Amino acid sequence: MMNEMVTTLLASVPLLGALLCLTVWSRPAHVKPTSIVMTMISLGATIGLSPFLTVSSEGFLLLFLLPLAACLSILGQPTHKTHRSAWVLTLVFLGLGLSILASHGVMGQLALLVLFGLVIGLLYRHHSALWPMSWWGIGVYGLGMVAAVTSDVTEPPVSTVASLLACAVLLPLVPLHSGYFTALTRLPGNLPSFIVVLFPAVGLHGLVAVTPVLPNNVAVAIMGFAVIGALYGAVRALAQSRMRLRLAYSSLSLFSMLWWFAVAAGITTAWASVFVGAVSFGTSGLLLAWQVIRTRYGDDVDPQAVSGLASTMPRFAVLLSLVALAVMGLPPFGVFSGFMGLLLTSPIASPVALFVILLAWLATSWYILDAVQRLLFGQQRADLPFTDLQQSEFVALLMVVLIVIALGVIPAGLLGPDSAPALTSAMTGLFAWNK
Amino acid sequence: VAPVGFVFSEGQKMSVLAVLLVPLLPLLAACVVALGSDGTRARRTKIAAYPIGAAFCAAIVTLYVVTTQGPITLRFYDPVSVGSFAFPIGFYIDRLSAVMMVLISAVGSIIYTYSIRYMYQDAHEPRYLALIGGTTFVLLCMVSSANLMMLFLFWQILNYLLYVLAHNHSHEGTLDGAFRMFTLLRVGDVAFLAGIVLAHSLYGTFEFQELFVRAAESTATHSLLPGIEISGATAVTLLLFIGGMSKSAQFPMFIWLPRFLYAPTPVTALLHAGIINAGGFLINRLAPLFGLSSTTLHVALVVGTLTAVLGATMMLTQNDIKKTLGFSTVGQMGYMIMECGLGAFSLAVFHLIAHGLFKATVFLSSGNVIHKARQDPEFPHVDPRKEQESFSRLTWSTGFFTTLVIPLIILLVTHGILRIPLLESQGAVIILFFIWVTSSQAILTLTRLRAVASWKVSAAMLLTLLFVVLVYLFAVESFTVFLYPNPADVAFYFQAADLPNWLFDLLLLGATLSTILGWLYLYLRAHGRSVWMPTWVDGVKIRLYVLFMNRLYVEQAVQHIGKFLLRLLHRIDKHAQGWSQR
Repeated sequence: MMNEMVTTLLASVPLLGALLCLTVWSRPAHVKPTSIVMTMISLGATIGLSPFLTVSSEGFLLLFLLPLAACLSILGQPTHKTHRSAWVLTLVFLGLGLSILASHGVMGQLALLVLFGLVIGLLYRHHSALWPMSWWGIGVYGLGMVAAVTSDVTEPPVSTVASLLACAVLLPLVPLHSGYFTALTRLPGNLPSFIVVLFPAVGLHGLVAVTPVLPNNVAVAIMGFAVIGALYGAVRALAQSRMRLRLAYSSLSLFSMLWWFAVAAGITTAWASVFVGAVSFGTSGLLLAWQVIRTRYGDDVDPQAVSGLASTMPRFAVLLSLVALAVMGLPPFGVFSGFMGLLLTSPIASPVALFVILLAWLATSWYILDAVQRLLFGQQRADLPFTDLQQSEFVALLMVVLIVIALGVIPAGLLGPDSAPALTSAMTGLFAWNK
Repeated sequence: VAPVGFVFSEGQKMSVLAVLLVPLLPLLAACVVALGSDGTRARRTKIAAYPIGAAFCAAIVTLYVVTTQGPITLRFYDPVSVGSFAFPIGFYIDRLSAVMMVLISAVGSIIYTYSIRYMYQDAHEPRYLALIGGTTFVLLCMVSSANLMMLFLFWQILNYLLYVLAHNHSHEGTLDGAFRMFTLLRVGDVAFLAGIVLAHSLYGTFEFQELFVRAAESTATHSLLPGIEISGATAVTLLLFIGGMSKSAQFPMFIWLPRFLYAPTPVTALLHAGIINAGGFLINRLAPLFGLSSTTLHVALVVGTLTAVLGATMMLTQNDIKKTLGFSTVGQMGYMIMECGLGAFSLAVFHLIAHGLFKATVFLSSGNVIHKARQDPEFPHVDPRKEQESFSRLTWSTGFFTTLVIPLIILLVTHGILRIPLLESQGAVIILFFIWVTSSQAILTLTRLRAVASWKVSAAMLLTLLFVVLVYLFAVESFTVFLYPNPADVAFYFQAADLPNWLFDLLLLGATLSTILGWLYLYLRAHGRSVWMPTWVDGVKIRLYVLFMNRLYVEQAVQHIGKFLLRLLHRIDKHAQGWSQR
């Protein structure tokens, strides 16, 4: 009861913020700071009320990350009246996300349905004939909504499989990744850079409950999809020239790795939260950085057409490089820590699958560095005007870098008891090693 | 395993400070250069040289303390739960680490000081110098790592630092080379990652000493294919070795090295003197683990020998000084890995130190050589008649007999004075034969010197002989005793690397034949005689020359494969009902 009350309180802060923003709607310059302040209040409320919540340690990590992600995604957006609705919607999404992560009852389930409904509505609103694939996205979110309802009204094993489907829509897994892709490429303003944190966090929240009760054959199938997804995402990312698509495929590949580890282990350790948080924040940071380029040089600019930014936009270059390093999985950033944590705490179910996962992990360095290199290095364009980061953009990107570093060096004790390494395979015999 | 904290004797209290200062001072130097206004830039770049120099002094103090009082361990984590903590930062300084710290800080100091003038008035000078300081810091942390995980962390960071140190990011060739270098090194990183995950999975620890004990006790095996089983230690060390291969530019992963030569000369010097030795260091750091796997040592021997031969041959056919030096490094690294493959771990460290200092000097001087060559161009000219006229019987005879005497002296010294048990260690015998071949090759080169009287050449030969015997035998033996004080360890590594008898005999026979044939060929050439060869041999020789000049076309092959794969990916992407169609 207490938990539900606190959850209501948590969710109401950003929702009230959204209402407050509507009161200053006619003044775009006021909407943005109001939204930012409300996300900060929301963060404060989450920290302050966390002792009254009965959430697992990994759930807390994601709860704290959500308001931060909302704040940074708004902060990194230039002030313009066309972005007002995206800022307000960010607050609404934040309220729904907090409800889902903090609640154990009906409130969370309702919030999940509203979340699906809202994103379907938004995608329909921003549907364009030039992007017929977005119908698939809308359809997949529709399926997620149906699965969420089914999981609430049925008994296991149907409810388990339904929950799993809903999770696969949110935390993208092949072949249900279209929704995530549509959201990342079609939603307006800063929403993609927030959605990329929110949806996987919610998906992981669901996965925590589902993985321990998965039937064996379903688990094997999911692991197969995860391995295919990791490789497919990496391969497709290599072929992309559009930044947002490359990031979408990249995150699909990385999240597929998480699926593989989580299902193989049968439990979701706190390292999964670190990994999801870091991948999401890293991708969000790259989307914010790409937003900087879009603001200056147009919506669909070719990265190579604005090469040589390292000399002309040094602050941008340094921060973009650091975020890219994080996504590439280099230390000391959270993606590396999370991945190492997953590797060391999960049993290796199949060496071949592990090889594929490592191959996909290696490919990340290739396509992310390639994209960054095209932007930052090469011949400088003399005919283009260059403006380095504005204060708000700088702060947003800097905060992303600091957060992914913090996720990388987070002390193990804070992550809870399940973050300890699993029994070695030599003891459990899961790696087919003959003693 | 000791708990969190510092493990050192009473007398080592002061030296703990020195240990911490060694890596921290170059980091301080990097901060001094990077942070500050343009007005103070010149002063800051000069001031930053002092902390790096001080790091070298602290490294010498550390070496002295470690030598006299034993290893120092500093841990900032709980080793029992190292798997749950992503960054187990700690230092384990034994003699190997201390020697490497002295080498790296010395080379780092020289290169930083050189770079101050080299980069004078360059727009990116602060960034570049800060990166030199940062790279020195990372290298020092890597060689003093307390556990496998920390070593891997700094191993990876080093790759990115190398990428940004390529520096000239508006030059397409530099960019291409840096990108290729980074991606190839990441291939090695992934193998390294798989190796440490497997090691943790089998032995449950990253702590070096604990890992070695558990690996020695473990009997775990793995079936690769039905009927084919490999030991856990072999699987782990093979994966780690692939990681080392990429960093030490072993065949076929050497292709990143020539491309990296577009980087500023001091960076190239740092790379060739310090960074590229990482593979040899890794094998030495994990020597007790590698000693458990004869298979991995044999693989190392094959890879190292192949790299040494191919690297040296490619070096001879290159036509620019930096590429020549680059492939010389490839050959030397092959030699170093080959020594590891023979179980001569300490010799590999001795080699990497000697090579590091030598190559840093050569690279830093290469600019002067190029400058001089431009002012005073000289073209090689070979006149067979002149060669015949300048032939000296005294020189040839001295060389020939010296070469015959060398093996005898070596055998007497090693067996009689140094008491090396040659019968029990094949690796030592192979290395001795290798010494024979290389010293013979040096003497062969000396006999072809034209500008000096023959008695001088003869004297030079004898001095060379003395030098080779002294350095290779006495110095190396002393260094081996210093690095591995327990003779049983050395014997264990040599035994682990033992080859099948037929192969051992074949190698010795090959070495003997190559030396004798070399002398005969020289004699015949000098007398205007030629050895009969079928005509097609000349064609093959030319083709081989072109092949090696083009570095066996490995780079082009990789490039073509990369382009083919990308084309394939784009085609798949185009045909798929994908998002990019719109």
